[in-house]
Amino acid sequence: MNRFRLHYVLALLLCVSGIGVPVVRGQSQEFPVSTRTLKNGMKVLVQPDHSIPNVALYIFYRIGSRNEHPGTTGLSHFFEHMMFNGAKKYGPGDLDKVMEANGGSNNAYTTQNVTVYQDWFPRSAMSLIYDIEADRIRDLTFDPKKIASEREVVASERRLSVDNNNFGLLDEQLWATAFIAHTYQWPVIGWMSDIEHWTMEDLKHHFEMGYSPSNATMVVVGDVSPEEIFQLCEKYIEPIPSHSPPPPVTTIEPEQLGERRLVVHKPAELPILMIGYHIPKTDNPDYYALNIMRSVLFTGESSRMYQRLVDKDQLALDVSSQAEPAFDPTIAIITAQPRQGVDPQACEKAIYEELDKLKSAPISDKELEKAKNTRLVEFYREMQTINGRANTIGTYEVFMGDYNKLLDAAKSYSAVTKEDVQRVARKYFDPNNRTVATLLPENDEKAKQ
Amino acid sequence: MKRIGTAVRILALFGLPLLICPFAPAQSLHMPPHQKFVMRNGLTVLLLEKRGVPLIDIFAMVKTGAAADPVGQEGLAAVTAALLRKGTKARTAQQFAADLDYIGGSFEADASTEFTGISAEFLTKDLAHGLDLFSDALLHPAFPQKETDKILAQSLDGIKAAKDEPQSVLMLYYDGYLYGAHPYGLPPDGDELSLQHIQREAIAKFYEANYAPGNTIIAIAGEFDAAELRKKVEEIFGAWPSRTVTSVVVPTAAPAKGKRLLLIDKPDATQTYFAFGNIGTTVNDPDRFAIRVVNTIFGGRFTSELNEALRVESGYTYGISSRFDSRKAPGPFGIYSFTKNETTTPAIDLALQVLQKLHTDGVTAAQLDSAKSYIKGQFPPSIETSGQLARRIVTDEFYGLNDDEVNQLEVRVDAVTPEIARQVIQKHFPMDNLVFVLIGKASAIRPAVKKYADKVDERSISDPGFWPPPAAAQK
Repeated sequence: MNRFRLHYVLALLLCVSGIGVPVVRGQSQEFPVSTRTLKNGMKVLVQPDHSIPNVALYIFYRIGSRNEHPGTTGLSHFFEHMMFNGAKKYGPGDLDKVMEANGGSNNAYTTQNVTVYQDWFPRSAMSLIYDIEADRIRDLTFDPKKIASEREVVASERRLSVDNNNFGLLDEQLWATAFIAHTYQWPVIGWMSDIEHWTMEDLKHHFEMGYSPSNATMVVVGDVSPEEIFQLCEKYIEPIPSHSPPPPVTTIEPEQLGERRLVVHKPAELPILMIGYHIPKTDNPDYYALNIMRSVLFTGESSRMYQRLVDKDQLALDVSSQAEPAFDPTIAIITAQPRQGVDPQACEKAIYEELDKLKSAPISDKELEKAKNTRLVEFYREMQTINGRANTIGTYEVFMGDYNKLLDAAKSYSAVTKEDVQRVARKYFDPNNRTVATLLPENDEKAKQ
Repeated sequence: MKRIGTAVRILALFGLPLLICPFAPAQSLHMPPHQKFVMRNGLTVLLLEKRGVPLIDIFAMVKTGAAADPVGQEGLAAVTAALLRKGTKARTAQQFAADLDYIGGSFEADASTEFTGISAEFLTKDLAHGLDLFSDALLHPAFPQKETDKILAQSLDGIKAAKDEPQSVLMLYYDGYLYGAHPYGLPPDGDELSLQHIQREAIAKFYEANYAPGNTIIAIAGEFDAAELRKKVEEIFGAWPSRTVTSVVVPTAAPAKGKRLLLIDKPDATQTYFAFGNIGTTVNDPDRFAIRVVNTIFGGRFTSELNEALRVESGYTYGISSRFDSRKAPGPFGIYSFTKNETTTPAIDLALQVLQKLHTDGVTAAQLDSAKSYIKGQFPPSIETSGQLARRIVTDEFYGLNDDEVNQLEVRVDAVTPEIARQVIQKHFPMDNLVFVLIGKASAIRPAVKKYADKVDERSISDPGFWPPPAAAQK
């Protein structure tokens, strides 16, 4: 998702911490979830919470940039924008106007894997929201005028998050280099030339492909009862017919057999270093050990990387790691911003030394315990808002295959041993498995030419 | 890739607080009860019990911020705050980090223009440990020379890093150009030159002069027993010796007359980032509810008039918003957006037309109804967490506001009529006197944007400082 916007992370990013976290006291009692699968195949998850008179409603569609092709990259994200631009009952512009006039607001995000729609509204707007959602799932329309203006909006978004954002730019280049076969190689927002060229036919095809109710999961958290939500679903959503889901993504990224390096030259005050390592998909047993490992290395000012690069050696302004939830094998990215005058290779060397330490000796008991404590607090931070809960429950359901994995997460994390951490460090953080991207500042004079 | 639909998110993008609509919804919503007491040393304490998740949040406000920075040492308040956790009388910076991280806790401290905010969060079961860490940093910082040097150097590079992202510095240039040498125009985190002139002694002195119980408000919110916690708080913070603090009174700055424009050259930019407006109003302005309602219609949400015109209808930008950053003295009002180089003047022209239309046409009853519903419907999630509540009760206390800001909100918002809106537009939304700041590729946009102002200034983004040019740079 927002791998484009490292610095503008909004509330619900799973990037840094991975998905949710474990819990000690019984989550099932703490955060009870009711579920129902509609006749058209859409699964609905509901969690009542009456602390504020509001509701957060998320719909996860299992379609993203991994389902695209060269020439139409960015189409999932563009389509996400078009989902707000008119259907049969609520025409162009109506959706936002009606929703806001009734106290609601909305947003959406697209990742390589999913497209997610979010509504936040007072409970008084509940049936209206269902009417709006049903309208656009069933009867989306494409106004050529809207396509033209929205194309410009997305181009502006690209200029903001990539072309004029050094982190976004380097991140894009890193993925394009780390993947040579799999569709994770292109940016979620799409290449600018594709943004300029996709057609109405492409949009219609995308809708038919990705927007079957059976390809979606709905999560509702807030001032509601499961019964009333299921009734609304039966009335508004269930009658919408299902069709075939997107064709499976069958390409498997071949094993990387040697380090890849790339350099971006750009006017900048400070350089940037990003290193990507191939790791397995989210629904893999090593997921938990990898998260513990990343926690030990990157979480907090006592973490090994912060202590080494930022505090002790003063090589970097900051150092962090990101790994998005993914249906297919993906990459974990280490990002460091070297201090002015510091050669990015000095940062690189320090990072490798810290990784080597992790591989050669087990972490301490205290580090392991600290990582587990950190995960616990992160879990509660996500669960303290209806919005965070809707996103976390949905993400577990979609990426782990079952929201109940939230309950198992406690066990899964406490089962991680020091040896597991060492094993995943050795297995995935191998020099042959990495792609190194560096942004080097060039002076202004050159840019003016 | 977010749709970044709503204006709320556009503001977030510009680094503004998410809370743009501090008004209450339906009658069902009230501020949770909380208690206030003032300790003998002068410390104001607020306690708010909240069930839900086993978290505790602390927010402390030292009522002195960057506005108190000496000329040429901008960033002093911010650096002082950043150093609180970087070594105390009992712990080194590394020990503090280790102790904090072990419980999964968070601790942040920074200075904005008007105050210094220090916040922490940890699990209820770690209350004693969390309070110990928090009070250690707030009451006993040691400002070790080595850590001071590190923070100063990192802050300096932080300014440089920010300049690589135009949207993160647009407001620093805008506030600077709008206010000039007035305290609200100074960069709260300092600049490339001022940070080089800050010494450890000045930091220690700033701390001694301003971090005092009588100049501080602390709120604790979350899952705890208030009676028990009160005892602990009195024990821990009762030991903080009282000191006399000279409070900073920020003078009222007069709105700018005429039109002037500052162009910041970033030669590689493919997009122009712009802000324009004038000096706005105060937090306590009796018109504040009407201003919120009108600004929601004008530039405070996705379907605002500005966003409809510049995003939805024309596709000029990913987003545009307007905002009153109200403070104790009149704070800035601005319209903020960005557009590709080629559409710089069409976009600004259109934004000006929308502003003109607000003045000539006012707002309709239907628009008012919609904005009122929106404000009320979107308010509850802004006081949902312990962290939000702790911050809210402290800032209300600081600005002399009370729970009626929430409890009476529906009534106050609903009282806004088209006639009141008309008066508010005339009084608070500028039209003829405007200050513009643009960051972009000067060679591409310079000739066209001169038309907006009688006076044009220009700097390069790589020139040290923001505006006005730092004294040392002028020499």
